[in-house]
Amino acid sequence: MRIALIRIIFFLVLFLIWYLIVSIGHVPSYIVPSPVLVLDSFYHGFMKGGYLLAIYSSLIRVLTGYFLALSVGIITGILLARYYLLDITFGKIILALQSIPSVAWVPLALLWFGVTDNAVIFIIILEAVLPVALSTKNAMKNIQPNLIRAAQTLGSRGLHLYKNVIIKAMIPELVTGLRLSWAFAWRALIAGELFISGTGIGQTLELGRSLADMAQVMAMIITIGVIGFLTENIFFGSIEKKVRLAWGLEGGN
Amino acid sequence: MIQSKIQFLNVTKHFNNNSTGKSSRKDTVLENLSFEVFAEEFVCILGPSGSGKSTILGLVAGFIKPTLGEVLFNSKSVQRPDGSRTLVFQEYALFPWLNILDNVAFGLTTKNHKNNHAKEKALEYLNLVGLSAYKNHSVSQLSGGMKQRVAIARALAVDPEVLLLDEPFGALDTQSRESMQTELLRLLSKTKKTVLFVTHSVDEALKLADRIIVIGAKPGKILIDTTVAVSKPRDFKNLQLSEIRNKILDKLTHPDIFMGSDI
Repeated sequence: MRIALIRIIFFLVLFLIWYLIVSIGHVPSYIVPSPVLVLDSFYHGFMKGGYLLAIYSSLIRVLTGYFLALSVGIITGILLARYYLLDITFGKIILALQSIPSVAWVPLALLWFGVTDNAVIFIIILEAVLPVALSTKNAMKNIQPNLIRAAQTLGSRGLHLYKNVIIKAMIPELVTGLRLSWAFAWRALIAGELFISGTGIGQTLELGRSLADMAQVMAMIITIGVIGFLTENIFFGSIEKKVRLAWGLEGGN
Repeated sequence: MIQSKIQFLNVTKHFNNNSTGKSSRKDTVLENLSFEVFAEEFVCILGPSGSGKSTILGLVAGFIKPTLGEVLFNSKSVQRPDGSRTLVFQEYALFPWLNILDNVAFGLTTKNHKNNHAKEKALEYLNLVGLSAYKNHSVSQLSGGMKQRVAIARALAVDPEVLLLDEPFGALDTQSRESMQTELLRLLSKTKKTVLFVTHSVDEALKLADRIIVIGAKPGKILIDTTVAVSKPRDFKNLQLSEIRNKILDKLTHPDIFMGSDI
């Protein structure tokens, strides 16, 4: 409770400093908007429904890309863990791909898919598939052999072994991969949306720039941060913590 | 005639040692090993590390295949693990995502042992090792000794014919180790099983075994195969026991046989 109070006071002070700098320094609103203008932009954006629609469209886009990336990534990870030859060839390409930021794919994506949703989904998949493939591979390779042997000697095999032991043993590492993958997908979404038409958070941000409406730009930046924080840290963070607790990887304090 | 449960017929086991990635050197772990274990016998396999003791258990369980020779269980060649020969590991190998009761019930959910009253039966076995009060606890909340009790209950719950134990008390402190040995004897007097118990402690073998097989290292060969015809619980002042102990220690400390032994 105390921590929450300190945080609220901190943000209020930050807000006040921002307000004072802008109003005393007479900074033009097309350079740095006053926090009041940003609040106003939020109010109108949400009241007229523009921002809500933008957030909705963006979420649909990112979720589509994310789930496609998960299916591809998990299958790739399993194949990499099972076939050594694939791992030393294709597996290394994946490592190299991971160092390419998503924006680098934008020109190619636009050329192939035009300024459409598909271009963004393509970028998201490229970006999000890597962490989940790698964590699936590692999770599979890191299963303690004795857990599988213990299960086998107790009579477990085939589907029963996969369902009750192999997948279960992989879950903690897999969840970490899912969180990382989501974080990558979220960043790729915004990068991609800056370049395509239609509605979305990135488009709204880009529209604000072209209209010199910095309040709208700030409002979207804050929106990106808040949604990103809530999903990455609050949603995935709590799942990760619960799993780590249930798997006995962390003490119960 | 006493029924033969497990038979090793001229078993040799090589492992391809290519961990360095360059030369693929063959490591002979067991060489031309032959012995048999009879029904309801408690056999201790005693030997230094690297003598292939654990490999013997893996061969009986069925997740390791012999390079040469054959391992028979009930006069039939061992194919794969199936729940009739269960294994207790030194590091417990409990499933951390299951609570204590579900760990014990695990084997009862498999096809071979499908049991509609898995939980009730698991609770019986948990009760047998004195841990029914901990049925809803998670694995990480238990001490080493308790974990091993759960692992033993899990291995017994499927009512196997053979119980294999791979240095089960090796990770425990002396005190829990001794109480676990007594506990194991008590459990086995209730549920008659054929037991193959791997250890590198001579005293542990002398306390538990009906028969002790001493294996030498690199490659593993039988050095001593002796019956311990002393009733349990045992008093270490017993003359026959000290004779066997001296015989074993004499072999074990022989420098030609055990290079770098950890005993």
